[in-house]
Amino acid sequence: MNHLGALTIFFCWIVLISGIWLLIFFRTSVSGAFESVEYLSREQWYLGGIMRSLHRYASDAAILVLLLHLLKEFSFDNYRQNRWFSWITGLPLVWIIFPLGITGYWLVWDELAQYVAITSAELLDRVPIFTAPMAGNFLSDAALSDRFFTLMAFMHLIGLPIFLVFGIWLHVFRLSGPRINPPRALMSGTLLSLLFLSLVFPAQSQNKANLALAPQDLQLDWFYLHAYPLVQAWCPGWVWLLLVSVSGLIVLAPWLPPARKALPASVDLDNCNGCQRCADDCPFGAIQMVPRSDGKSYAREASVNADLCVSCGICVGACPTATPFRKRSGLVPGIDLPALPVAQLRKQIMRLDPRDDGIVAIACSGRAAAAKLRKAGEVVVEVQCIGQVPPAFFDFMLSRNIARGVFLGGCGEGGCRYRYGTDWTEQRISRRRDPQLRERVDRRRILKSWCDLQQNQSNMLRQLAEFRAAVGRTGADDT
Amino acid sequence: MKYVSQIVAYALFAVVVGLFSIWPRYALLDPQKAIVSLAFSHAGERIGECRRLTQEELNELPPNMRKPDDCPRRRHPLFVQLKIDQQLLYESLLQPSGLWQDGKSNVYQRIRVDAGEHNLFVGMRDSDRQAGFDYTQEIDLVISPGQNLLVGFDATSRRFKIQ
Repeated sequence: MNHLGALTIFFCWIVLISGIWLLIFFRTSVSGAFESVEYLSREQWYLGGIMRSLHRYASDAAILVLLLHLLKEFSFDNYRQNRWFSWITGLPLVWIIFPLGITGYWLVWDELAQYVAITSAELLDRVPIFTAPMAGNFLSDAALSDRFFTLMAFMHLIGLPIFLVFGIWLHVFRLSGPRINPPRALMSGTLLSLLFLSLVFPAQSQNKANLALAPQDLQLDWFYLHAYPLVQAWCPGWVWLLLVSVSGLIVLAPWLPPARKALPASVDLDNCNGCQRCADDCPFGAIQMVPRSDGKSYAREASVNADLCVSCGICVGACPTATPFRKRSGLVPGIDLPALPVAQLRKQIMRLDPRDDGIVAIACSGRAAAAKLRKAGEVVVEVQCIGQVPPAFFDFMLSRNIARGVFLGGCGEGGCRYRYGTDWTEQRISRRRDPQLRERVDRRRILKSWCDLQQNQSNMLRQLAEFRAAVGRTGADDT
Repeated sequence: MKYVSQIVAYALFAVVVGLFSIWPRYALLDPQKAIVSLAFSHAGERIGECRRLTQEELNELPPNMRKPDDCPRRRHPLFVQLKIDQQLLYESLLQPSGLWQDGKSNVYQRIRVDAGEHNLFVGMRDSDRQAGFDYTQEIDLVISPGQNLLVGFDATSRRFKIQ
């Protein structure tokens, strides 16, 4: 679930590579298209047939994961604030991928292609851009020209793929370090399952297109053609209205109520030394290092772009001045989150009343983990993102005996709502990223539990129970 | 257990992809039905008569615009009617295309009919007459199940074409 976008790109790679093989043997003419595809499927089944099946099934899988990606981001509320850009730029990708697949079906020139061609033409004829009905090109075999067919091939092979590549770049270019490749195990697993499917159920053409006959019974690819029966059931105008309305809602969604916009991170120049860690760690590129404006000797200072800031607090977790050990009356770090300032977080932690076993959980809010822990009777500190907590806080809690064990509940691998919260926390604790957790801190007293909504969270409670027992043993050993 | 669940997940993924790429089948047309495609483009007559320009008028025009006739741009809409076994299946007044209504009128209709023996009538009016048709064709024919019967209009011979 956390790699759906990257999986879509991976499937596009499979489509591209298999498509290159198909192109070598494909003849872009009305008379040659069907025969060349049949040759690939039957005579060269051992390679061309598998490539064709992979081409088709990977295209279908791309649509499946693309729609799941859209649903996931919507249901996790990942489309508002500065994410509106990625959300909206995803829509043209949908409008490109569907015609890309549909023109692919067209090229096979079997009965399904005939249906697709006529229905697509009827749909396009509702758009007042053609002087004569495009559907008139599919009235009889004599009316159909090779040139029209070549145009479709051009759109499928060159035109739309160029827009797709540009669209993917646009979709991710505002993200820092976008994940465009899923984990290798996931790539291998999905590729093997598509290969298996291609071997067991190779894609086959339906009867050759014959415009003198009307197709009667079709094996429709519902991933791509689910809207086409509506053209017959309603009329092209209503189908356009539906498609445009859904697209319009998607475009407007980031600004539709309930809109929630927390205050962005704020920089305190008295405490900012221009170290750049906040800018490096910000997953959304919302922090820029700019020339110093207050005359201090540091070269630069952090500057927050409020439009891009999602108020995750990961920058606070990166700030070396956000340490609870500071001997100042007011704990004000170089960068802070107005919704939960570091000083307030320290107060909250110091007021904690842990259970006898001394276990305190820190968990991301907005995920079910915190609620589940609270429901289980645990002492929980809720933060916007686990990456918001500077590692010095773990040291603080353990060295000041506020807690005997710190349980960190965050999002699963690749599923962090703020992209890198769990990654950066992992790296800070293991001293691979600044600010590092001091070596003196006993790592056995910190448990990281990253799990998703969709994963079984009873697993998390089991981990916590084991951690509690382990901390108890550690305490006994220490004494 | 972890590997088993992964295999099950990948198998489920393959099943979903494979299944919905061909299933459920879509019955587009009843086996005993056929399609009559009424489709053609035709320009109606001009709204007014052409006027022959005098030599003096021609001389006043730039050399590249000296056409002997001055014709109005607008054309009459087409009135098209299709009946099968005396039953009216299609009737429409089709406006000429183009901003100046000087282009062809287009008709494109796919009508489902029962296969079998039928009497087909098609008529078109492209002039300023108030009733009746300028072109008609009536034919008895047998339409096979699944046939796509094309009813068009040949602008050269100015006759309906049924094939």
